[in-house]
Amino acid sequence: MDGSRVSRPPPPVQLRGVTYAFGSGALARPVLRDVELAVAPGEIVLLTGPSGSGKTTLLTLIGALRAMQQGSAQVLGQELAGASEAQRVALRRRIGFIFQQHNLLGFLSARQNVAMALELDRTTSEAERLERADAILAQVGLGDRGESRPDQLSGGQRQRVAVARALAGNPGLILADEPTAALDRQSGGEVVRLLRDLARQRGVPILLVTHDPRILDIADRIVAMEDGRIVPASQAEPVRAG
Amino acid sequence: MTLILRREGLLSQTLLPWAPERTGDDAGDEAPPPTRPPVRRGSPLAALWLPLRLAWRQLRWEKARLASAIAGVMFACVLVFMQLGFRAALFDSATALLSAMRADIFLMHPMTLVSFKPETLPRVRASQAMALPEVQAAVPVYLAQATWRNPENGTRRAVQLVGFDTESGVMDFPGLAPLIDTLKRPDTIAFDLRSRPEFGDIGRLLRERGPLPVQVGNRMMEVAGLVEIGPSFGADGNIVMSELNFRRVVKERQVSAVDLVAIRLVPGADRDAAMARLRQLLPDDVMVLSQPQLVAHERNYWETATPIGFIFAFGSLMGLIVGMVIVYQILFSDIASHLREYATLKAMGYSNLYLGRVVLSAALLLAVLGFLPGFAISAVLYDVVGKGTFLPLGMETGRALGVFAMIFTMCALAGLLAMRKLRDANPADMF
Repeated sequence: MDGSRVSRPPPPVQLRGVTYAFGSGALARPVLRDVELAVAPGEIVLLTGPSGSGKTTLLTLIGALRAMQQGSAQVLGQELAGASEAQRVALRRRIGFIFQQHNLLGFLSARQNVAMALELDRTTSEAERLERADAILAQVGLGDRGESRPDQLSGGQRQRVAVARALAGNPGLILADEPTAALDRQSGGEVVRLLRDLARQRGVPILLVTHDPRILDIADRIVAMEDGRIVPASQAEPVRAG
Repeated sequence: MTLILRREGLLSQTLLPWAPERTGDDAGDEAPPPTRPPVRRGSPLAALWLPLRLAWRQLRWEKARLASAIAGVMFACVLVFMQLGFRAALFDSATALLSAMRADIFLMHPMTLVSFKPETLPRVRASQAMALPEVQAAVPVYLAQATWRNPENGTRRAVQLVGFDTESGVMDFPGLAPLIDTLKRPDTIAFDLRSRPEFGDIGRLLRERGPLPVQVGNRMMEVAGLVEIGPSFGADGNIVMSELNFRRVVKERQVSAVDLVAIRLVPGADRDAAMARLRQLLPDDVMVLSQPQLVAHERNYWETATPIGFIFAFGSLMGLIVGMVIVYQILFSDIASHLREYATLKAMGYSNLYLGRVVLSAALLLAVLGFLPGFAISAVLYDVVGKGTFLPLGMETGRALGVFAMIFTMCALAGLLAMRKLRDANPADMF
């Protein structure tokens, strides 16, 4: 992995001086202050910190789900400061999202849900999309559940379908927000390890927000946040232990 | 080149897709991750088909909701069909008498608003019209109402009398031709087979007993045969007779004051040119009309001078609004209960426009799914109600297409309104 860390191409994620506040004027409540963060190609970064520390807001900014206010954010080569809605929508197509809840469409089967990630690319045929969906479902160990609807799957299986959906479009970056929060210890661990292995195979970097101390071991690097700022590594140790 | 390719093949297992070693090969690609080419355009059909399919899958999933939505559209559809059907039927029946009169050109007093309250014109205009070489014959037509005593039970009812020179062959009614000789006899009439049943079952009596004596006004007349005209607003039944017999019933009517003049042209004459020349020839107390114009004039009275047109247009509009509210409610609650899913799709890179197409597709699917049973039910209702009310109700292609267009517009509007709810699906709130 270290071999690829050369400074010439921009890293998948490069934040400089990102500041963000909710509300405006006198009521403005800053949630991010001058955040600097880079994610290297293929790197798995865990973002931890107490609630309200701004990690989720940071994730939505990187995922182009929110408009930037101040600072610069280069994500997969796209500058997000001042980016138009269309540019942000286009960027989202190159990012795989995994949410706290699986958020699968209840009226679609597992393979149809995964294929939804591919339907935006109109050059693929329906057969191709379903084939790729089946292939990736097999990789998350659900090769035989392609026709099942989300309500016929267990929590862990649903989150694995969500992982398959996030990976199906060959994203350049995966953003995950507490993907294990709704799962028990065992299935949560399975899901994140599966995510890590598949991302490693593809060389896709992951930025994962979590409170869950049981999954800290999958990370290449752990970044702690507090009060809208990134905490220096030396001070972050207690968080890791906790 | 081969060297580079080989090197890439070796490296691709260990290096990342955007590792610096590869950038040289992918110089054409501007976006850093070359795993996915930046912009590719597919078939425009897919842009419509895929949202439509997604909408259908979503609609199909919740059967109860789909059923109530279809029922709502169907309801609106039937309501509009019935309103428009009644409207057309009433106008058709209002003009039934004039529609049944077959002649090339008619003369009418310009102040006549409606045929059952005619303004008379001088009989001499018929003779004046004969001055034109194109005019083969012109006969005066007398209209009046008299009471008719039902021969079965003796009840009295107003009947429309039409008197004209039946022998001249200038004006015809459906079924009149074989009766012409019979109607020459004194006190004979031809009865309208399609008159309301309150006049008595004349058709059956005529078959059973032959020529039938009935009381019209204060005179006994003989029903000698049947014609087909149909009841109109002005009168529930019609009888046709010769001019002479008309004068026998309506004694107070001056012969010189006629209600219409019917004109037959020589074969091959240009009707429009003849009408133009008649207008030049005749004084201002005459309006020259073709048969369709005569019917349109009558219809115009019912449409503009009575609230009938408005009532049915209003009823149709109400049906459409109710339908729209139902479809809007269904689509709105569909979006509201799937906000998370819609927000997820947005996070995945689906644009507002794409999701808008999904909602609109759902609306249009409902339009089609509701229209088809609505059309079928309306066709059956037309038949049943038409038989019950003696109104000429019938399904017409033009009306069916018109109603479909209305239902389609209604659903599209509901879809556009419901689409505003999509704005609430904010992917930033998903985390």
